[in-house]
Amino acid sequence: MRLLERDSVLDDLRGALAEATARRGRFVLVAGEAGVGKSAAVRAFCEEARGSARVLWGGCDALFTPRPLGPFLDIAEELGGELEPAVNEGAPAVVAALLKLARPGSATIVVVEDVHWADEATLDVLRLLARKLGQATLLVLATYRDDEVDRVHPLRVLLGELATLPQAKRLTVPSLSPEAVAELAGSADVDAGELHRLTGGNPFFVTEVLASGNGAIPPTVTDAVLARAARLSGEARAVLDAVAIIPPQADLWLLEAIAGESMEGLDASLGSGMLRPDRAGVAFRHELARLALEASVAPQRKLELHRAALDALGRPPGGVVDVARLAHHAEAAGDADAVLRYAPAAAERAEAVGAHREAAAHYARVLRFGERLSPTERAEFLERRSRACYLTDDIDEAIEAIEAALGLRRKLGQRLEEGESLTWLSQILWCPGRTADSVHAARQAVALLETMPAGRELADAYVHHDWALADRALALAEELGDSELILRVRTIIGRRDFANGSEMLEECFERAQAAGIADLAGDASCGLVTGALALRRYDLAARYVDSGLAYCSDHGLELYRFYILGYHALVELDQGRWDEAAAAAAAVLRIRRASIMPRITGLVVLGLVRARRGDPGHRDLLDEAWSLAEPTDELFRMGKTVAARAEVAWLMGDQEAVAKITEYPLRLAQEQGNRSALGELAVWRRRAGIDDEISDADEPYAAELAGDWREAAKQWTQLGCPYEAALALADADEEKPLWQALTELQRLGARPAAAIVSRKLRELGVRVPRGARASTRANVAALTPRELDVLRFLSDGARNATIAERLFLSSRTVEHHVSAILGKLGVQSRGAAVAEAGRLGLLQDP
Amino acid sequence: MQTYAILRRGGWRTPDELQAANARSLEHAEKMPEDIRWIRSYVLAERDGELGTVCIYQASSPEAIRSHAYHAGLPVDEIVAVADTVLIRPDPERVTA
Repeated sequence: MRLLERDSVLDDLRGALAEATARRGRFVLVAGEAGVGKSAAVRAFCEEARGSARVLWGGCDALFTPRPLGPFLDIAEELGGELEPAVNEGAPAVVAALLKLARPGSATIVVVEDVHWADEATLDVLRLLARKLGQATLLVLATYRDDEVDRVHPLRVLLGELATLPQAKRLTVPSLSPEAVAELAGSADVDAGELHRLTGGNPFFVTEVLASGNGAIPPTVTDAVLARAARLSGEARAVLDAVAIIPPQADLWLLEAIAGESMEGLDASLGSGMLRPDRAGVAFRHELARLALEASVAPQRKLELHRAALDALGRPPGGVVDVARLAHHAEAAGDADAVLRYAPAAAERAEAVGAHREAAAHYARVLRFGERLSPTERAEFLERRSRACYLTDDIDEAIEAIEAALGLRRKLGQRLEEGESLTWLSQILWCPGRTADSVHAARQAVALLETMPAGRELADAYVHHDWALADRALALAEELGDSELILRVRTIIGRRDFANGSEMLEECFERAQAAGIADLAGDASCGLVTGALALRRYDLAARYVDSGLAYCSDHGLELYRFYILGYHALVELDQGRWDEAAAAAAAVLRIRRASIMPRITGLVVLGLVRARRGDPGHRDLLDEAWSLAEPTDELFRMGKTVAARAEVAWLMGDQEAVAKITEYPLRLAQEQGNRSALGELAVWRRRAGIDDEISDADEPYAAELAGDWREAAKQWTQLGCPYEAALALADADEEKPLWQALTELQRLGARPAAAIVSRKLRELGVRVPRGARASTRANVAALTPRELDVLRFLSDGARNATIAERLFLSSRTVEHHVSAILGKLGVQSRGAAVAEAGRLGLLQDP
Repeated sequence: MQTYAILRRGGWRTPDELQAANARSLEHAEKMPEDIRWIRSYVLAERDGELGTVCIYQASSPEAIRSHAYHAGLPVDEIVAVADTVLIRPDPERVTA
């Protein structure tokens, strides 16, 4: 296992070793809770010290009756010599033998592990050693679990004595921070925050859970926990059982009500180190330990404890009942009435605070105990569960629940509700890419609801079936005077008409927030990001990303948060911020969820960054994106992937592949009148030599398709898309714009595209220094890419006026660059600069 | 971790410069042990006495290699993924520059 956050402990140990080597013997106690990694830290230290010191290792054992002088028996066995007879003689003889082992020049490290289990004689040895090692080249390291040493523990006495000795020192190995836990989790598919909470940052538990790979408690954890509990008295164990049954913490009044007479074991159970005092009671130090212990309580006993807890929690001293806890114990006690009484209330409370995952779990609980529910009630709970699952992007569960509800509604002949559920089903089905099923459900919903008097359900069905029907839906909503429905429909219209202005959707976002309609606010925030991105308004997009992520994080809207994260990567990519884009994309790809759009976006962005830099590993990413996008047969999800694959084919010089990749999506874009996708795809085809005679594409694509590279580049630059601007310039057949394109592509680190432009320049008979290498080498002399450009012209003997013209700079600016170059290269003249640059290899061809 | 070859052509004028770069490289590689593992490098004798390198790294991604290079101030000309290793003989003893 990797050692994280142990630098300070290791540094202290190194310091102690240095002292011991200089004949100032040291005694170091290394404290920490079980599993925190005391041994790992000590082992790492000893490994590192082994070259310069001798290491002797012994451990105390966890027997009810430990072996006398156990650790020194271990050492003697390994070492032989004088120590062997000494362990039969007693503590003073052992100490004398150990001190004799110490030799000048190099230190001896004696490690005694787990001294909280030490026998009396071992403690004597340690006590004597600590006093006598002052002049010896001896470093004694004793590890112990500070959470198991209560006030009456025999080790306490030793600890007290050592505290007064200057040569003794106590180190504590701390639990891991959330950041370190996240680092250990690495790319594993786990929620690092949750893992930190579960394990309390205990490295043993963290690694065991990660190693188990399935989120279940691994047997090694269970064994460790149960072994510890087994050493306790019956009453202490009974307290542990009770506390294990009533998570998250056991208030004392509650514990008293449940544990009854066994409460006498409370002190002993606290002394075991497994529990810690908590606000008004006690709690397990590690949630994993609690889970392991809970699983070990006999079923009948468990039932009794849960019944007692349910009973006590129903009549709390303060009078305020905690419905979530009651629902938990109601289920565990198998009390169906209590479940149906408390779980729905618990779900609603969870929803109110944005805990949609918990709400979904409570609804599931209701449904498990729902034999007594009427079919209508059952359908309602299924529908609510489906919504809660959707908001956390648990799409499979959401679909399962709503399909079950739909079946019930049909059987009951509740056609209005059936239509409503169909609309909902349609919305969910879109996320995992089941486009055809989604459209089918929406169509069914409209057809069904149109046979009935028009109401809220029909308005809802309209907007979800087709945004073109949103105006009809709005009229209906206004007729009904349903303000929430009006807001919902207006949000869709705001998304649809975003190109005409962002105000409407912004207003909907604010109103939904103010009204506390979290799912709608999340939807609106997501719409704002996509809208701004489609318009290439990156200033707005960045702002919407920030506000959207903040809102969705606060309200548990994981679905929308996931989408916004994906779009964020695209916002960065378009602006030529490739490092940021790659980091954002990688963050999205670490999350494994049901919705495919964010993943497609992340794959496309990371794939493009790599391909544009000429880095390996882009093909697999884009292939995966395509495998997700293609089955949707939807331009919205295929478009970016297709454009990316076409770009890669173009960069590789494979014009035929560009034609093949874009053919079908281009037709789709034409049919659907998607002028943006049409333009993007047609431009790639044009670069590959195919003229489709497209006349209705959006700008700047239209200018590019018309051959007006100047106008296209200007527009791209205004939009803030440097790579696209450079590629537009690359369409020119004159030297000046091509130079400009080349310079910009080199600045971006776009090696393959720069090579294409270089080739074009050479075909025009222009001498092009092969710049890709030089630009990376610029950091040797700390030259900026722009200064490097100027330098290249200097080497051709160009005058400032010529350079200014070529690079679109003022003469003054060029003058400024030249003097900066002279300064950085430490030379006085332009000629000397060129010579020095030549020497540095800043100008040479590869 | 995937193995990569990284080309850093003609990045240094003198062995001292290269040595300083190596120290920076190692320092930054140790800061990101989960992302970068420096395996070995071959120092290239470039024209005019300059030095370049071909570095063999294990890395979590090409982005990690670029980030490492950026922080350590190393040039990157090209990153190539290593598909396989064919070992015929161990590397010869140190070549004196």
